[in-house]
Amino acid sequence: MNLSAWPWLELTLLLPLMGAAVAALIKTPNTAARSSLAFLIGTLACATGAGLTFTEGTVRSWHGFAVDEVAAPMLPAFALLHFLTLLGTAKSRVSPMVCVRLLLAAFVNLGAVTAQDGWGIVTLLALGVLLPLWDLLSRGAPARGFLLHMLLFVPLLIVGWRMAENGQELGYGLLLLALLLRGGIAPLHGWLPTLFQGAKYGAAMVFVLPLLEVLAALRLLLPATPVWMLDAASMACLVTAVYGGGMAVVQDETRKFYAHLCVSQTSLVLFAVMLHTSNGLTAALCLWMSSMLALAGLAFSIRALEARFGALALHEHHGYYEQVPGLAVCFLITGLASVGFPGTIGFVPMELLISGSVEQGLWVSGTLAVAAMLNGIAIMRAYFALFTGKRPTTSVSLQVTPVERVGIVIITVVVFLGGWFSPGVVSSRHGTADKLLDRSSSQGTVHPGR
Amino acid sequence: MPAFDKVLSGLGLLVVAAPVLLLAVFFGAFLCNRRLQEHTIGRLIQGTITISLLAAVTAGVLMLWHRIAQHPIELGDWVITPHYHLKFEFVLDLLSLSYAGLTLVLCATIGAFSTRYLHRERGYQRFFVLFGVFLLGMLTASLSDTVETLFAGWELVGLSSVLLIAFFHERPSPPRNGLRVWVVYRLCDVALLLAAILMHEINGAGDFDHLVGKNAWPAHDPLLIGPHFTLLGVLFIIAAAGKSALVPFSGWLPRAMEGPTPSSAVFYGALSVHLGVFLLLRVSPVLDSSIWLSVFLVLLGLATSAYAYLVGRVQTDIKSALAFASLTQVGFIIAEIGLGFRYLALVHLLGHACLRTLQFLRAPSLLHDHHQLENAIGARPREEGVMWEGRLAPGLQRWLYRFALERGYLDSLLDKCVARPFVASFRALDALETRWARLLDGERPPAAQPKPAPRPPS
Repeated sequence: MNLSAWPWLELTLLLPLMGAAVAALIKTPNTAARSSLAFLIGTLACATGAGLTFTEGTVRSWHGFAVDEVAAPMLPAFALLHFLTLLGTAKSRVSPMVCVRLLLAAFVNLGAVTAQDGWGIVTLLALGVLLPLWDLLSRGAPARGFLLHMLLFVPLLIVGWRMAENGQELGYGLLLLALLLRGGIAPLHGWLPTLFQGAKYGAAMVFVLPLLEVLAALRLLLPATPVWMLDAASMACLVTAVYGGGMAVVQDETRKFYAHLCVSQTSLVLFAVMLHTSNGLTAALCLWMSSMLALAGLAFSIRALEARFGALALHEHHGYYEQVPGLAVCFLITGLASVGFPGTIGFVPMELLISGSVEQGLWVSGTLAVAAMLNGIAIMRAYFALFTGKRPTTSVSLQVTPVERVGIVIITVVVFLGGWFSPGVVSSRHGTADKLLDRSSSQGTVHPGR
Repeated sequence: MPAFDKVLSGLGLLVVAAPVLLLAVFFGAFLCNRRLQEHTIGRLIQGTITISLLAAVTAGVLMLWHRIAQHPIELGDWVITPHYHLKFEFVLDLLSLSYAGLTLVLCATIGAFSTRYLHRERGYQRFFVLFGVFLLGMLTASLSDTVETLFAGWELVGLSSVLLIAFFHERPSPPRNGLRVWVVYRLCDVALLLAAILMHEINGAGDFDHLVGKNAWPAHDPLLIGPHFTLLGVLFIIAAAGKSALVPFSGWLPRAMEGPTPSSAVFYGALSVHLGVFLLLRVSPVLDSSIWLSVFLVLLGLATSAYAYLVGRVQTDIKSALAFASLTQVGFIIAEIGLGFRYLALVHLLGHACLRTLQFLRAPSLLHDHHQLENAIGARPREEGVMWEGRLAPGLQRWLYRFALERGYLDSLLDKCVARPFVASFRALDALETRWARLLDGERPPAAQPKPAPRPPS
């Protein structure tokens, strides 16, 4: 049986759509969740298959979608993110519409990463905005701030790409601005804490964590954006990385803490992209995956805690360790992985980033190290606030459920094994980074001094 | 002698591999949701340390027998791109084997002590998991031959240290103090990270032998002169100052005593507090690159000793008093390194760590020991010695007493100059952001609270 001839890509894209259609027809929340989980497992398997067949040398394309060197490793990672998001949704909070939105988000994200045409990416990025908005409106949460930001993002994206296609420099500027807004770069990040506070965690996660702005920057911006624009954007990202870290340290609400952590991490990845060097791009590609998986794991723990204890404040000690030690370990490991702790999936990418930035000056590396330091402090503060303190007494068992345990096992194994398999991942990402740079230089962009 | 080299490399790797396997067992138990029995944990710890220690001793004896001063163990290039090179490499030499041997001997002692001391303690397994992480971190840092390997071990030691300070986590103060130590550690880790990057910039690699030459420690080939090396030296000193609680980072040391006694002994009496010293010994040729670095190091060491001596005199609990006594000696060792006495510093370090571990472990039974001493001699032991402070002017005495009681105002200084402005400015930004978000969402800002009427003067 020739597995590489299987329609992995087609199935990866169609299964979430089919799952969404099926979930929309189901009335019972639990049945909808089970069916969606089955579709997401299938998507994960097919995405892995698509990634593996690409590494074996088989290139498949289908109606403007294709698996290439950027998409191949990200497909399984994206599918895993959506699978974990549904796995971490508490039974009491799941509904058929939640499943539909999640599966549609899976389609949008997987489609965007495999889309080869610029307009395809732009369309999917613009469509993706509707899902969290739908969630916000369905919950009756304040959505105007998010809507205003996105009303700025979508036209900037469309007009920017239209002008950029015609070779106008302003187009790249507008596109860059749109992507910085989507990435939550300060001062355009106001929508991110609002989204995490108002929307369901799952909806916010699948909108923010895939970091589609990084993808768009790689595919749309890098080929021809003037260097001075990239340099200016990289400085904005650098400042945001420190700002997000500092804000995460002082937050008193878990959701805002998480939102600012996302702001800081996204800025680090975008900064690496904007460096536009071989090292920088390699770091960006590695950090993209590691940040996404680590932050997904962190969110998994926080959601499981919120499902048990409600909204969590960080200015007091809750003492949940004794009741849910598994979640405590998961929180700590994934949190530390996101800041590049040795032995985890984030270590090598973070080292690469900090070393790769030294060409800009030692102070730039120092600033990145400070951002990582602040994130590390924020994570440890949150850990102590959530898991240490006097044990609350409860009349019912709050132990980790078997489904949650599966999630914890997957996350911790991925975070640790990712650390051990870093060399192979880095060398493949380095090849991809060089190809992206070659493509940009072949399109005539001159980058003096790089 | 390739076969002999392979034996040495194998033994060196076994030293580190044993704790890795121990942690893999703990991790497997976590994944399978299984709680290990106390005696199983005890045996695992015992077995791990025995294997590591036997491997280290055998390697040391073989090297002495064959008169080999150093033996690098290359694990290959972890990550290699044309512009970046990340390498994990160990080295067996006098310094690394001495410190690894010390680590294993003291960890074996503490491990045996802890199995009884923490019997039926709620966090028994948690303690030994963190102990395993600490052991791995110490051994990795001790044997490291590249700055990245050292950094990995350094971070593991820091993490386990902080989590052990917060071990009794039902009380509010251990986590609070743990967080404070974490902040200092992270701050100094930035310096080590920057030093690593600078090393890559200077040599194109993070290998220590690229920096100081192929000769065995403490000799070095090239003369390292230049502003790059001075900056590198400064970064290494900052990193070491944080880890070894040198002035002005000494404030975290008494806070670290919140943890269980065995961890206090192994961390702050013996091993962790000396890790900064070890780092300076490892990179000592860099410190020779500038006379100002050496002078600065001597002054830093002496200032730390003086500070720790004064503060230690007024401590009222035995663990804090021992911690400051330990710091006094660490300051002297740092001064010795600055003066260029590398062997003396190493011997001082080894002896001091052993003595202090013994004192920490006997600390819980101090009264019992004292009673036994009184029974043996049939009277209360006479207090001897001269209190030189008595010869100072009364005003100065009072000032010194207050200075010592307030631990040199170091904590309050860091609070006032760093922590509070940082938190205040970011909280102000947060308030601004919240107002902006409310404005965008069309929400009304919360009504301003009326100011309370001023209280009449009593």
